[in-house]
Amino acid sequence: MKKRAARTVFIVSFLAPAVLIYGLFVAYPVLQSLVLACYRWRGVSAQRKFVGLENFKKLAQDDVFWRAMSNNLWLLVAAAIVMTVLAVGLAHAMQTSGRVARVLRSVYLFPQVISLVVVAILWMFLYNPSFGLIAGLLKVVGLGAWARPWLGDPQWALPAVGIVFLWHGLGFFTMLYSAGLQSIPAEVTEAAGLDGAVGFQRFWRITWPLLWSVKRISAVYIVINVMNVFALVYLMTQGGPDRRTEVMLTYLYEQAFQNSQFGYATALAVANFALAMLLSLGLMFAFRRNPEDAK
Amino acid sequence: MKIKATLLGSTIGLAMLLSGMACGPSGDKSGSADALKPGNTKVGDSKAVAATAPQAPTGTSLKGDLEVQAFQGGYGIDFYQTAGKELQVKNPSLKMKVEGNPRIWEQLRPRLVGGTPPDLMLPGWGMDHWALVAEGQVLALDDAINSPAYDGKTPWKDTFEPSMLALGQQDGHQYVLPFYFSMMGWWFDPNVFAKNGWTVPKTYDDLLTLGEKIKAKGMAPITFQGKYPYYMIDGMLLPWLVSIGGPDALKAAQNLEPGAWKSAAMVQSAKMIDDLNKKGFFEKGAVALSHTESQQEFLQGKAAMIPCGTWLYSEMKNVMPPTAKMEYMRPPVVKDGKGDALTVQIGIEPWMVPKDAKNPDGAVAFYKYMTSLPKAKQFVEAKGTLTAIKGSSETKLPESLVVPAKMFKESKAIWAVQYRQWYPAFDKEIQNALTSMLNGELTPEAFCDRVEVAAEKTRKDDSIPKHKVAG
Repeated sequence: MKKRAARTVFIVSFLAPAVLIYGLFVAYPVLQSLVLACYRWRGVSAQRKFVGLENFKKLAQDDVFWRAMSNNLWLLVAAAIVMTVLAVGLAHAMQTSGRVARVLRSVYLFPQVISLVVVAILWMFLYNPSFGLIAGLLKVVGLGAWARPWLGDPQWALPAVGIVFLWHGLGFFTMLYSAGLQSIPAEVTEAAGLDGAVGFQRFWRITWPLLWSVKRISAVYIVINVMNVFALVYLMTQGGPDRRTEVMLTYLYEQAFQNSQFGYATALAVANFALAMLLSLGLMFAFRRNPEDAK
Repeated sequence: MKIKATLLGSTIGLAMLLSGMACGPSGDKSGSADALKPGNTKVGDSKAVAATAPQAPTGTSLKGDLEVQAFQGGYGIDFYQTAGKELQVKNPSLKMKVEGNPRIWEQLRPRLVGGTPPDLMLPGWGMDHWALVAEGQVLALDDAINSPAYDGKTPWKDTFEPSMLALGQQDGHQYVLPFYFSMMGWWFDPNVFAKNGWTVPKTYDDLLTLGEKIKAKGMAPITFQGKYPYYMIDGMLLPWLVSIGGPDALKAAQNLEPGAWKSAAMVQSAKMIDDLNKKGFFEKGAVALSHTESQQEFLQGKAAMIPCGTWLYSEMKNVMPPTAKMEYMRPPVVKDGKGDALTVQIGIEPWMVPKDAKNPDGAVAFYKYMTSLPKAKQFVEAKGTLTAIKGSSETKLPESLVVPAKMFKESKAIWAVQYRQWYPAFDKEIQNALTSMLNGELTPEAFCDRVEVAAEKTRKDDSIPKHKVAG
């Protein structure tokens, strides 16, 4: 009995700081925002008015909110597919010992360590319709007519932002998959080789299923990253042209800090949070069992 | 455990955002229980607030602690700091603290919520100051403006340009005070115009003729700050509305009168922009340019004209090519329009005394000193912008300000865009609709219809406090 109590004290004393910090800086604000979402509050004085679910009702009828959410989801799907394909490809290319692999290994994390603000400014230069590198390159190869004001074009703005998002995030996911590939036991691949599995077949039958835990983590990370997209869009397009690149958090920012609708903005934050949770939980569920264990 | 760990990850990212906003309500400990009861405080009833304003400072004493917080923009805060030091020398019992920051509103917001604001503030463009007024966070300065100015003789209000003072009023009360102001207009490079034998277009028809000539030289007639469409709204849409329909057309629009945003004058004004767009008068791709990018295009001679305010020179002087020059011009007017061709569009930056200021009387006294004629003249000379103090432009003006000052003097009436501060969400919709029209997705009529719908939505939303153009 005494031993158990000592054990409990030991565990509690180690857990307490983390739980306390988590509670104070994560759980408490989250709970408080749930409360705040039920108020009309301008955020410039202590006056606020309880309005129940009014903010959520307004949200449900807000076209801009739905557009922002669909832009988030568009980015999510596009990023999930393209990011995974590119990251797996790059990770594969880095496994060899050739020159290309060595160069790749030394540069693939560069975009990840650049500040998002710098990334945005860098790409704004690239996309600039007047002196941008992309417009310039198109001109050089005789495709000048293809040039667009990328970030101001209704069709191109969102893909243009998406490309920057991919460019910035790719390194991290490549790292994940690279680690995943290295954790596949050599005897498994060797055995597969002896059995005659080569090339794409070996990847599809052996490597891809064995990357299960990496896939799970990377899927959840993509959801979190996409749901948290803010700085890139805010800096590059301000959600424009005409809401074509609006995402939930830029709209949240607009409602809170430009329109002084803090209650409404918090309702938006709650919706964003709920969606991110839902998607994450859905993915966890989908990837809940290691297919190799099931066999 | 793994599941928990990942969930934790997803929570942290969002919680960080939420916690940034949650700092606000935790500030409402102090005696605001009443305000929390639904229906007890009628949010937005500024009349009630004005009537119960506790103090009515007139700026008679300069003593004690006095804190000034000001937006640190292109004009800096050194001028206010110097003024503070000067006053402190004259009043030894005064302890001035003058500070500023380029994003001052972010620091002021929690202080306002918590009830510990500075005594005087210039909260900058990021602060919704009419929301502050609506929440009763700003002192009415009616007694102050009727009291003597710094010289001890003239009533303070008579030292301001009356039309600019009016921009800070609501329901007959003076809430915010102007200091410096900007003029919105267009800019051109006089050297480029002279070299090509072009003359500044006075009317829209002149512009159409000149535009073709400019295009023939391989230059874009006009570039614009496409990423921030309000430059074009203020530089074309509304000036042309005023030119066609007169000041009443603008007043009706700003007051959100039914149909005002799709009046014949508004549709014609939108059509004029659309025509310029279709004629290829705008620099290609400008819709994607930020303000600095487009202004750079203008300075590099890729476009002949650009709509912008009188801050353009101070904003761009460090990156100006040595050969470039810039001169201010009025936006071309519409021949036979109802509007006065000499009218001028201005914008003010509002100063105010928070309700919870500890030393409101000192704040007013300090501001009276800053707005005294000699100080205002110093400001004009040092900072290169005009001020709302009568006679302050009678001094040595920087080159970029000579023409605007002359045009300001010639004008009989001024106007200002006020709805942007009153209804930011509505304004955003106008900007978006304009971008959509420029991208060829909306006709001028559809543009006006969309804006009118937004105006109606704003009008009918009783959670938004309504404003009227004074006078």
